[in-house]
Amino acid sequence: MATAALEIEGLRKSFGGVLAVNGVSLRLEPGRIYGLIGPNGSGKTTLFNCITGLERRDEGRVFFNGQPIDGLKPYQIARQGIGRTFQVIRVFPELTALENLLVVTQGDRAAAMERALELLRFVKLEGLKGEFAGNLSYGQQKLVEFVRMLMRDPSLILLDEPAAGVNRTLLNDLLDAVRRLRDQGKTVLLVEHDMKVVMGLCETVFVLDHGEKIAEGSPGAIQMDERVIEAYFGR
Amino acid sequence: MTRAFLGALGVALAALALYPFFGTGYGVRATLQIFMWIALAGSWNLISGLTGYVSFGHVAFFGAGAYAGAILVAKVGWSWPAASLVGGVAACVLALVIGYPCLRLKGPYFAIAMLGLNEVLRALVSYFEGLTGGGSGLSLPTLDATIPIYYVMGVLAAAVTLLTYLIITSRFGLRLMTIREDEVAAEALGIDTARHKLYAFLLSAAGPGIAGALTARDQGYIEPISVFPLAMTITMIVMVLFGGKGTVWGPVLGAVVLFVSQEFVWARFPYLHQLLFGAIIVAVVLLMPRGVLGILQMKYRLPRTI
Repeated sequence: MATAALEIEGLRKSFGGVLAVNGVSLRLEPGRIYGLIGPNGSGKTTLFNCITGLERRDEGRVFFNGQPIDGLKPYQIARQGIGRTFQVIRVFPELTALENLLVVTQGDRAAAMERALELLRFVKLEGLKGEFAGNLSYGQQKLVEFVRMLMRDPSLILLDEPAAGVNRTLLNDLLDAVRRLRDQGKTVLLVEHDMKVVMGLCETVFVLDHGEKIAEGSPGAIQMDERVIEAYFGR
Repeated sequence: MTRAFLGALGVALAALALYPFFGTGYGVRATLQIFMWIALAGSWNLISGLTGYVSFGHVAFFGAGAYAGAILVAKVGWSWPAASLVGGVAACVLALVIGYPCLRLKGPYFAIAMLGLNEVLRALVSYFEGLTGGGSGLSLPTLDATIPIYYVMGVLAAAVTLLTYLIITSRFGLRLMTIREDEVAAEALGIDTARHKLYAFLLSAAGPGIAGALTARDQGYIEPISVFPLAMTITMIVMVLFGGKGTVWGPVLGAVVLFVSQEFVWARFPYLHQLLFGAIIVAVVLLMPRGVLGILQMKYRLPRTI
């Protein structure tokens, strides 16, 4: 078996008495789109935070392309090639759309500018490059955050609820973009509540409930899984 | 526009360079003070205006520089220009030692830690009497160097302002601003925020350190309460908030306007001036938290380099 893009072994994280992630293991093969679903409070965002180093895990291991990354600082993990977006938008409001992307770069300024403009064109925001990110609409900010994450050309992309609050047209563009990134060989893991999005996009879906992985499989199989139905709708 | 501005700037600098030849003694001393405030406010702006880490004890670097410079001049017999540079270095060393642990603190905790640092330094300086003269102060050999110090302080003020311009127009400066805007997002994008904060902090300590050593030489006598006063930190903060934090010219505008109005009010209404200064602080915070240039910048969509 080839090296996994991301491998998590027995990850555990608690906040005080709350066990947010309880011994989760999962494996992402390179070049595929994965979904992570589960009811509110099931530990999805905490899992993201543990992968990207924002939270320190209590137990367990995280390997990125076969190398352990647990214990590294968030910026070190980002530099290794893991990009993420946040559930709540985190653009830099008093920086322009273009500056939001430029901050990530170092070295050759002209090349950085070209890449930033290319990415803004990619999401049709080139005309708003000089606008403060805080003045853009919610959906536009979401796109800025999305392409800003791509500036470092990450090989693993974690998206936390990309569809939330985005209109259909914009969403279809975004989903197309995600597919194109997958076609370039990147691995994508997304948290999403919109089942249509998950079913239409993901090749494999993990289901979390109360911090534990209760199911894993193709979207079709997941929809039929009794434990999943129980977690969402109750017995 | 840019041309007219550069022309006006050139004329102003030339006038300031010639001023000691025809100005009054009082005028030169007052202008020297304005230079000092520009250097101090501009330095505070580098750490607090750009990264949002509010330093409530920035005068600690001024005091550290003042004592380092004064000790070298009074006890070792160094010349004041060399001692002033060492004053800047001493402040940077202090910033390194203090910044490493304290810049991990967020929001009010960092502000309070810096306030504490200033009090600790003042106590330490009072305690080591053999070196610092303790509470009774430290006298420097008599020397009238006001005019050379005027020029050096002027260069310092210009250097801090130029440094601010260079930082704000660079991607390094943008990264410092991302710390102010959203530190978590900055980290997730691969920005080493701890290192960036420390660099900004070091850069913001050098100016006050040099200014402290120059002031010690100019005044000829320092004591703990004269170089570590909390009021000085507050004045720096108010100047930057008034002029516009995170801009290039905000600290300059704030320093000039507040110093001049303070002198004017001080002379006419000695009892009212504290009250008026307090009223200015309240008015700025309530009515224009972005400061004069911040408001103009937003209203007329001016670049950050104003």
